[in-house]
Amino acid sequence: MIEVGDLSKSFGDKDVLKGISVTFNAGQTNLVIGASGSGKSTLARCLIGLVEPDSGSILYDGRDFMKMKDKERKELRKEVGFLFQGSALFDFMNVQQNVQFPLDMLTTLSSKEKKARVAEVLERVELSGADKLMPSELSGGMKKRVGIARAIAPRPKYLFCDEPNSGLDPITAIVIDKLIYEITKEYNITTLGITHDMNSVLEIGDQIIFIHQGYKAWEGNRDEILVTDSKEVLDFVYASEFMKKAKP
Amino acid sequence: MGNFVFHLGKYIMLIWRVFSKPEKFSIYRRRLFDEMITLGLDSLGIIMVISVFMGAVITIQTAANIDSAFIPTYTIGFTTRQSTILEFSPTIMALILAGKVGSNIASEIGTMRITEQIDALEIMGVNSSAFLILPKIIAAVLINPFLTIISMFVSIGGGYAIAMFTDIVTVSDYVYGIQLDFKPFHVAYALIKTAVFAFLLTSIPAYQGYYASGSALEVGSASTRGVVYSSIVILVANYVITQLILI
Repeated sequence: MIEVGDLSKSFGDKDVLKGISVTFNAGQTNLVIGASGSGKSTLARCLIGLVEPDSGSILYDGRDFMKMKDKERKELRKEVGFLFQGSALFDFMNVQQNVQFPLDMLTTLSSKEKKARVAEVLERVELSGADKLMPSELSGGMKKRVGIARAIAPRPKYLFCDEPNSGLDPITAIVIDKLIYEITKEYNITTLGITHDMNSVLEIGDQIIFIHQGYKAWEGNRDEILVTDSKEVLDFVYASEFMKKAKP
Repeated sequence: MGNFVFHLGKYIMLIWRVFSKPEKFSIYRRRLFDEMITLGLDSLGIIMVISVFMGAVITIQTAANIDSAFIPTYTIGFTTRQSTILEFSPTIMALILAGKVGSNIASEIGTMRITEQIDALEIMGVNSSAFLILPKIIAAVLINPFLTIISMFVSIGGGYAIAMFTDIVTVSDYVYGIQLDFKPFHVAYALIKTAVFAFLLTSIPAYQGYYASGSALEVGSASTRGVVYSSIVILVANYVITQLILI
C-alpha cells in the first residue's frame, strides 16, 4: 500500500501538484488519469524519487519515503518495478539479459535460480522463445511485455506503469492491460498506472483518481466513472467521438 | 565564465559518482571486457591505417626538408622515431579516438538518457553514472596505451617501407636513425599522456551524453560537443603534461 498525503510540487512559479492525497491499495490496479500536462507523470516521478516533492508525505507500507536517506531509498527501490512508456529496454542487452539484469544487480540468487526466474516471467508474458532477440528486433507490444517481465522478475511489491498502452494497437493494448491486471492480482502487487487511455480505465481500473490542473478532482472505480457528476471527469471520459456515441 | 565553472563543477560531481563503490563487481567486470573490445580492439584497424601513412609521410617530409650535406640521412629515421613516439602516436591517435570513440560514447549514453534507460537504472537502485561510464574510462585507460605502442611500431614501419621502396633514404641509414640515442623515458612519457588522454576522451563525451535531454537532435549536439570539447582539452593537457614532464 502506498499512502500519499498532501503532496505538492512546483517547477518555478508553476504549481504542478497541489496537495494530492490518495491511498493506493495492494492487489489493485490503481490508475491515475488526466489530460496531458495535468501532473500525473510528475506524481509518479515524485513517488519513486525521480522528482523531489516540495511538501507532503509518501508512505510505502508505513515507511516514510520523504524521510529516507539515499541509501534507504535505494533499498526501497529494490521493491519497485517500473514499466516505462517506451519500455526503456537496454539496447545493448538481449531479452534474456534485460530481464535478468535486475536480478543480477539486486538479488543474491544463484545463476541457475536467475535463469529459472527469467524463464518463468518470460513464459508469464508469453515470450518464451524470444530470449535471444535484441530490443531492436521486437515489436512495440513485445517490448512492453519484456518491460513487464523485467519489472516483475525481482518480485516487486509495487509496480509503476507509465502509459503502458501508448503507441500500441487496440488489441495489443488490451493484452497488455490484462497482463498488468492479472499480475497485480496474482502477486498481490500495489500497481499504479499512469494513463489517459479510457479503454484501460474501463478494463482494469480498480481504483481511479482523476487529476485536473494539479489537484485531485475525482476518485472512484471503473463503474462509477461513467456515472459521476463531476464535469471535469465527464469532459475527459467523453472527449472522443467513440465514447460520446457509447454514452448511456 | 560562469557557464564554464557550472559545467566544470557538474563534471567533477559526475566523476565523483562514477568512481563510487560499484554495486556488483562481476557485472562491472563483464562490462569492462565488453568496453575493451568496443573502445579498443574495434579501433585497431583505423589506428593501424592512420599510423602507417603517418610514419610514411613524416619520413618523406623530413627527407624533403633536409637539404644540407652536413645533416646525415640517418636523421630521417631519428626524426621519424622521435616525432612518432613523442607526439604523433599519443596525441594524434587520441584526437582520432576522441572523434571515433567520443562521438560513440556521447550518442550511446545520450540515447539511453532520452529513451529513459538511465531512469530505469536509477529506479532499480543502480548507480547509473558508475554503471555506464566507469567501465568505459577504465577500459580506455587500460587499452589505449597498447594502441599507442602498436601505433608507434606501425608508424615507424611506415617509414621503413618508404626507405625500402624509395631511394630517399637507405634502409640501413633509416634503421640506424631509429636506434640512435633512444630514450625509454620518452615512451613512458607518451604512455602517461595516452592514459590521461584516454580518461579525457571517455569522460568528457560521457558527461555530454549523460546530461543530454530532449530529442534525437540534442543527442547529436551532445555528440558534437563531446568530440569538440574533449579534443580541445586533450590539446591543453598535452601542453601541460609536456611542460611538466619533458622540461
